[in-house]
This record gives sequence, C-alpha cells and structure tokens, in this order.
Amino acid sequence: MTSTATPATAGLATAARRSGARRKSAPPGGGTSRLHRNEQKWALGFVALPVLGYLLFILYPVLFALYASLTRWNGLGAMEFIGLQNYANLLTDDRFHQSMWNTIFYLVGIPIGLAISLALALAMNRRLVGLTVFRTIYYIPVICSIAAVAILWQWAYNGDFGLVNQFLGLLGIDGPNWLADATWSKPAITLMMVWKGLGYSMLLYLAAIQAVPRSLMEAAELDGAGAWQRFRAITLPMVRPVTFFLVVTQIIASAQIFAEIQIMTPGGGPEYSTASAVFHIWRQAFQYQQMGYATAMAIVLGILIFIITLIQFRLNKRSSFVLD
Amino acid sequence: MKKSRLTAGVVAGLIVAGTAACSSGGGGSSDGLTFMFRGGDDEKAAYQAAIDRFTEDTGVEVDVVVSDPDNYATQLQASIAGNQVPDVFYIEQANLQSYVNEGILMDITDQVAELGVDLDNIWEYGVDSYRYDGTLQGTPEGRLYGLPKDIGPFAFGYNATMLEEAGVERPDPDVPLSWDDWLEVLQEITVDTDGDGEIDQWGTGLNVQWNLQSFVWSNGGDWTNEDRTQVTVDTPEFAEALQYFTDLTTVHGVTPNPEQAQTLDTYQRFMAGEIGFFPVGPWDMSVYNELDFEYDLMPWPVGTTGETAAWVGSLGIGVSATSDMPDEAVQLVTYLSTDEAAQETLIEANIQIPNRIDTAQEWAGADDAQPANRQEFLDIAEDYGRAMPAAFTYGAAWYDELWVDIQPVVDGVRPADEYLAEVQPRMQALLDQSNEDAARAAEQNAQTD
Repeated sequence: MTSTATPATAGLATAARRSGARRKSAPPGGGTSRLHRNEQKWALGFVALPVLGYLLFILYPVLFALYASLTRWNGLGAMEFIGLQNYANLLTDDRFHQSMWNTIFYLVGIPIGLAISLALALAMNRRLVGLTVFRTIYYIPVICSIAAVAILWQWAYNGDFGLVNQFLGLLGIDGPNWLADATWSKPAITLMMVWKGLGYSMLLYLAAIQAVPRSLMEAAELDGAGAWQRFRAITLPMVRPVTFFLVVTQIIASAQIFAEIQIMTPGGGPEYSTASAVFHIWRQAFQYQQMGYATAMAIVLGILIFIITLIQFRLNKRSSFVLD
Repeated sequence: MKKSRLTAGVVAGLIVAGTAACSSGGGGSSDGLTFMFRGGDDEKAAYQAAIDRFTEDTGVEVDVVVSDPDNYATQLQASIAGNQVPDVFYIEQANLQSYVNEGILMDITDQVAELGVDLDNIWEYGVDSYRYDGTLQGTPEGRLYGLPKDIGPFAFGYNATMLEEAGVERPDPDVPLSWDDWLEVLQEITVDTDGDGEIDQWGTGLNVQWNLQSFVWSNGGDWTNEDRTQVTVDTPEFAEALQYFTDLTTVHGVTPNPEQAQTLDTYQRFMAGEIGFFPVGPWDMSVYNELDFEYDLMPWPVGTTGETAAWVGSLGIGVSATSDMPDEAVQLVTYLSTDEAAQETLIEANIQIPNRIDTAQEWAGADDAQPANRQEFLDIAEDYGRAMPAAFTYGAAWYDELWVDIQPVVDGVRPADEYLAEVQPRMQALLDQSNEDAARAAEQNAQTD
C-alpha cells in the first residue's frame, strides 16, 4: 500500500509546483486565468457529483430515520411525534435485548476466522504444488450467493442426515440437531459465517505477507531468530493494518447479519436464539408495521457500531508504528 | 489506491444509474387498471384467464402485476410508499384496519350495491371479514372495503388407501372422533412396513403453529376472550390441548420425530403416503388430486366439548382510494369475487372453493367430487369455521409471541401449562399495545373524516 501511495503523492507535489508557477506568471491584479477558472469549474463539477450523492442517498435518509425514530409510524400513513418514547420502550423490550445479545455472540466468529485465515495465508505463501487450486477452493464460498450457501448449510446441519453430524458420527460423537436446538443454533450459524469469510481474509493476508520486505526476514534469520520468532516479531506486526481493516469491516458486516438468519431459521430460530438485531428490526418494521419503533432500534444499532469502530480506531492509533 | 478509488466511483455511478432505471419502470398505466396479486403458477394461469374474459366483456384493459407469495407484502408496501398504489390488489384481513385508517383502501359499499351484487349468496364470513365500522372489523354493520378473493376453510383429511390397507374403518364424515379414539387409530397405523426395525409409516405429523387451533377450540379453550382484550392461553383447557398435541410426538410416538420431520417435512411425507392423517386446505386440492392414493376429508378430532372446530382464512380484493378509474376497479373486484363465469375458471383450477354459495353447493354435491367429502369445506365455511385468533386484531405480534419459545414444549422437555402461564403476560402486554394502537388509529381516522 505504501508503495502505491508514493507516486500519487509525488504527482500531487508536481501539480502543486506547476500551479504555483502558473500563478506567479499570471498578469498582476488581473485575478486568475481563464484556463484556471475553467479547470476549477470542472473540478467543482466532479466534486459536486459525490457530494450530491452523499446528500441524497446518505444524509437525507439518515436525518429522515432520526426523525422517524421519534414518531409512532406504521410505515404507511402519518407520523405522530412521540419524542423519546420509542427509545424508552427499547429499555424494557426483552426480545430486542435478546437479539442484541445474539448479534454480539456472532462477533465471536471474527477472531476465530482471522486466526484461521492467517494460518491459511501462511500455508498458501509456500511453494506448493496446486497452490492456485487451493486458493481458488478457499475463495469460492466468498463469491457464492448467500442464499444458496445458507440453504446448503441448512442441509448440512440436519439432525439426522446432515453432513456435519455424519462426520461427527465417524468420530463417535452424537451431534445435536443444530438449528432446532437453542444451545447450538448460534454456534452453528457462527461456524457458517467463519467458513464463508475465510477466503476473503486469507487473500488479503496473503497479499500483506508477500509485501513483507525480504531483507527484514533475512536480517532476523542472520541474528538467529527461529520461524516462530520471525512470525511474532516481523510478520504479525507487518500485517497489522490488514488485521485492523478486517476487524473493522467484519464487525460492521457481522453486526448487520440478516439473510443467513432469515433463510436458515425463519422466525428467529428456537426460542429466538438466532434472531439478530437486524432480523428483529426487519420483523418489527415489515411484519408488525412498527416502522417508527424499528427505526429507533436501527439508530441504536448504528450508534453502537459507530462507537465500536471509533474505539478500534483509537486503539489502533495508540499502538501503531511507522517503518522507515 | 488511485485505481481502486476510480473503480469505486464507477461502481457507485452504476449503482445510482441502476436505481434510477428501476424506479422509472413500473407504476400505474393511465388507460387501464392495474391489478396486483400473488400466487403460484396454477393460480396465475387461472386469474389471467378470468381477467382476459373481463377485458372481453367490459373493454377495460387490465395490467397484471403478479408476485410470489413471499414478496407480495413488501412489494405492495413499496408501491404504497412510492405513491403507485395499484387500482386493485389483494388485501390481508389483518392489514385491513390500518389500510383503511391510512386512506389507502376505498369504501366500496355503495358501488357494490349499485352493481346489484347479491352479497347474501357469498359466504358471510368472507364478506364480513372486509367490513369495518371504524372500531371493529368483521361486524355485519361495518362499511365494505373489499370482497373475498376466496375463503380458506382448513379441513382435516386422511389417506383412505392407507386406512383401508390397515383394516381401519374410514372416519365418519359427520361424527368427529374423540381424541382417545383417534389416538388408537394413530397407534394402529404407526408401523414399520418394510421390517427393517424402523418406523416408516406414521399416524399423523402436525405443525403446532397451523394445526393447534382446532385442538384448543374443540377443547373449550381460545386465545382471547370475546372482545379480544384478554389473552386466555393460560386456561386449563388450552394447556390440556397443547399437551395432548405435543404428547402425540413425545409420548405416543405416532408422528415423525423432529429430526425426521426436518429431513422431510410432514407435508411431503403425507404426499409420499407415509402419513395417515393430515390437514387439507382448498388450495391443496390441485396437488393432492394427482397423488397415487385416495384421500378424503373429515371433521377434526374433538376434545372435551365434543364439537369439532377449524379455522377459516380469507384473502380479500380491495380498491385503491386514489384509483383514476374507481368504477371500473370495483367492477373488476366484483367480477373476480362473484361472477359466475369467473368463479368457474377458478374452481376448475382446483385452487379454492366457490365464493357463491349456490355454486358451492352444486360443486360439493357433484358425483365426481374429489375429494369425495368436499362438503366438509362448506361445513367449515358456514358452520363451524372460526377466524384465526389474530385475523381481526391490530397486528399479530401478540399472537406470534406464543410460538417463539414453544420449541421446548414441542420437544417434550417443558410442560405445556408451565409454559403457557409464563408466556401469557408477555402476550397480554402485546395485545394491550395492539388495542391501544387500534384505538388511536381509529380516533385519528374519525378526526380526518
């Protein structure tokens, strides 16, 4: 990443020098040249497009949602302003608390998934026969439609004939009826999410590992560092930015898990054990026509994700280092 | 970095363009009606034929929008949010009140009367489902906001071929079996047919969410009191029914166990001839009539009251309050719901019972009727059928709450009465809230009128 950034910065610097030179040569007192004004217009045009998009598709919906969360609204007719009533109701809504807890549980899959994908990336970094085949195999789940994957896993988790229990049976373990058992349904879904995310994380880790300067490795080796020490002291810190990126994006994505839940356990699973926050929000909004209340939940969820991300950025800044 | 940002920009641009293209499509056409409905392939074909005939008779073009059942509610809501409400559309009983209060559905009482439709010849339950007087839905005095597309009496049925082979007498079409007698039959036909030591034919296999109602009602229990203000699931009658229901699986073993039901659901197992007794709705006829065994209808087995009970659902057809062609729209609704020729097309497709009472009686009495005891559907429709507990309440959250934590009861690890006592307060709170919402909406509606 650093290597690609350098020419870009260099390009900017030259551009700045050039424009500075032009300004010097502009006629005194006459303001800016026509070319400059023209370029500025174009620049504004280019800037306006994303800004407009942002206002229209992000800012307006967010402000609208903020207002909607303060109303009693069924999603169809008039909104009735009720202040913070929806938020007050949230405090005593057991189902909402349960769905939040379920969502937090799903986050457990992230560190597990990252550890496995880092290990896989290290393995893939060696010269192996059929390396591309392996890389492709691990990446396939990433490009598969989530609906298809969810249905396949639903079969795999079948209590009687599912692949998972057949495999456990070979080991002499009598597997549970995964998705119909309130204790095992969440781990089952977490496992599937880990499996689905492996390929993507692995690919990023692989790129990061290959970007580790060889000179560092050689130097460490000369100093007598073993493989584990090289991994701990060089590879791990060098792939830190990727880990950070993955943790942030995966927490945001996992906190919004919905399709898997909806397909594998329609109704939120046994005793609502798999219902994620977004599933609960969707149910309130579209099945029970409590759009205002559901929006309030969505806002709370959004704020929580924002806070978690902010904390992560803080932590990352504190412990980051620069390699000169 | 630069490159990826450029790609991101292009992708964003495409997304924006795509969204814009989508939103410009669809919408109501100005020189004809738009009719939005849902259904499977059989249903689509039958409705298309009926609509073609309507266009032929009246010269009114109808633009048909069909969606699959799962997406219908979302699609309709989107069309409402986008101010593109179709002129004519299907409406659920449970949504009627809010749609009326929001001014989405048109009051069609007078137009229907002007068109000379004989509503007395339509199932009372079907018509009354779409009457609403501003506070209560389902009352004969209310204004009319739709007509039934159909009514769905949920009958009980059995695999006659299997019973015959087992030497069991066919159930009487008029005298319901008691729970005890029925259980004996179930035990008799739950057997291992191929001698491999595993049961492969079961008495029944019921779904608690869709089949418990009959058991509770015939045992004298119910979900609420009469005016729908008090949740009554914690009564001994209700608990006894639920316990009997779950004991079929966990104590008596006359149904596939949960894992087996998950591998192949009991609906598929019934069609495969592995299950003796199973519910039958009118919409099942088109499929069940093709099965390679004979099936027939019977009253649901009864608990302590001795009176059989079943639920009857309905889906309605309503007219948009903002339609440009309200008269033609109402005409289409009455055509689909009550016209003799249109009804014939739909009946032949075996997807519903006739809406017209006279046609229905003829249909049930036909010599070649399949299933033979079609009369059971009509008995439910005019005699012992009841509305689903949440059909006329403002939203169904309170009702769904019962099912959320029911799994341990179904699995037999938790007694029914204990669970019901625990869930009742939660359901009560939700019902209270639903009633409050209903009252508030009705009040607002009264102010704007």
